[in-house]
Amino acid sequence: MCPQNIPAFVPYPRYFFICGISAFTLGLTGCGRTKVQSYRVPKENAASLPSAMTTAVPISATLGNGALIEPVMPLPNASATAILGPKVSKANGPVLTWKAPTEWAPKPLGAMRKGSFAIPGEGGALADLSITSFPGAVGGDLANVNRWRGQLGLIPITGAELADAVLRINANGLTINLVDLSSTDPAQARILGALVEYDGAMWFFKISGPGELVGTLKPAFVNFLQSVKVSSP
Amino acid sequence: MKTLLIDVRRIMVSLQLTVVLLVFGMILVFAATLDQTNLGIWGIQQKWFRSFIVFQDLQGVTIPIFPGGYLVGGLLLINLIAAHVDRFKFTWLKAGIFLTHAGLILLLIGELLSGIFQEDFHMRLNEGQTKNYAEAYREHELAIIDTTDAKVDDVVSIPEILLAKGTVVQHPDLPFRVVTRAYYPNSFLQSPSAITPASLATVGLGLSVIASPQPVTYKPTETNLISAYVELISPDNSPGVFLVSTGLVAPQLFNYAGRSWRMTLRPKRIYEPFSLTLLKFSHDRYAGTDIPKNFSSRIRLKTSDGRDDRDVVVFMNNPLRYAGLTFYQAGFENNDRTSILQVVRNPSWLVPYVACALMSIGLLAQFGIHLAGFVVKRSS
Repeated sequence: MCPQNIPAFVPYPRYFFICGISAFTLGLTGCGRTKVQSYRVPKENAASLPSAMTTAVPISATLGNGALIEPVMPLPNASATAILGPKVSKANGPVLTWKAPTEWAPKPLGAMRKGSFAIPGEGGALADLSITSFPGAVGGDLANVNRWRGQLGLIPITGAELADAVLRINANGLTINLVDLSSTDPAQARILGALVEYDGAMWFFKISGPGELVGTLKPAFVNFLQSVKVSSP
Repeated sequence: MKTLLIDVRRIMVSLQLTVVLLVFGMILVFAATLDQTNLGIWGIQQKWFRSFIVFQDLQGVTIPIFPGGYLVGGLLLINLIAAHVDRFKFTWLKAGIFLTHAGLILLLIGELLSGIFQEDFHMRLNEGQTKNYAEAYREHELAIIDTTDAKVDDVVSIPEILLAKGTVVQHPDLPFRVVTRAYYPNSFLQSPSAITPASLATVGLGLSVIASPQPVTYKPTETNLISAYVELISPDNSPGVFLVSTGLVAPQLFNYAGRSWRMTLRPKRIYEPFSLTLLKFSHDRYAGTDIPKNFSSRIRLKTSDGRDDRDVVVFMNNPLRYAGLTFYQAGFENNDRTSILQVVRNPSWLVPYVACALMSIGLLAQFGIHLAGFVVKRSS
């Protein structure tokens, strides 16, 4: 197929054709879709917008990637309620129940909490126990443990490290994964967090508060977790 | 100069170049397959095939390591065309070969056009839900929407790439400039605490949520959470710095210049001049088993001008083709109550079919001509 004798070069129109195709090819591949566009569309139905646009549930939020945001301060203005995602649990299925020590004072439930307790310690110290549940795996154990670690300023851990960090508790047929997270500064907060996956939902039991107080609460918290069981609605 | 041009021409029409390029192509496919463990399928397509030069990061230094798919394929195309132009001498005896090569050239051009023009979107419909737009899988846009009018929304769509580049956007429909203060292709959202760095946001949700950069993930099971801090600047009374993120499900609302605005970082949308309503999604199984038999979506297609209002059924291998878009049944979720349609816009979708037809006809013709010649020779 390869010619043995190439004739001398002549500026032949056929070669302009090849050059044209090459330039066209290069030009096309250089095309970008980077222009700002503007257009007019019919207003979206309220039903097709994320639920938070129509249901103003304050404070807590579910993020698009399944990670949860827990509030530490009031949202700044009305528009901030728009952060609320569509996955806020309104489960009507089986629920979990628990038995808390009498010295743990129940607090009013917020929009998202299934259970809420104030746990007093010595010298007026106070820890908070929150119980929440969300549909789905909510990012899984690792993502949620790393979320808690982030709240304490700790670097994320890997899946292998998580396996070492988790204390597994079996309670009434449920498998509960408990982690104990302390910041490097003992004066800072400490978190005892437990995750339970049940019936397509993830339940979070989380004690947070001063490091010293939360440390003393660990045995009582393990007992508390062992009281968790399934109850029909 | 003349000698150089002759040399270039000699190389461009040579069979040696064809062989070298084919070997390069094989190495490209092999290396990209290995690299898939690091980058995932989308990443390697961009890095190895849809590029002129493949660059590799070696301990912080980016160096070119191999010709990319566009260069190898482009040179192959030019080589093929050049060889034909150079030696083209039509004879009926070789008509089949010409047709086959024309098909091959068309196939290469078709792949190039698909790579450049094809756009993939998806449409997620719950039963009873109506939509007139599809969303991109990977591309995102910052949508700033003037919602003041009771009936229509005026949308200004800023591609994510402009946020990534930090381009200052000044659009005639916006009473402010949009300036990117920070852009994270993957991020982690968390509540602010004493330990987290101060938020860049001065208003809106960014006061209660902080985005921290994370390494980009290429794993097919993980999603990058794109976030950016954007400042809206005007000559007076600037709205401030907002946090936008694909992790914030619902948009931010604010009032400015006497108008109501909604801002959200979302998958890029294409709006269509018609709407689709999912009437029913069916997930048929073989009797007595959980083995899927068929997935289908019964859809109401309606145009705003009333020209079309009909039911269509989309099922495996039976897509809906309408207005330059093709809707394939791609998935389902939510206990069979949500249907996911893949939406493809590819103006060159017919090219590979035509190319294959040309090649088939060419091969048939060539073999036919040879067979006829052989038969005539034998009989004489």
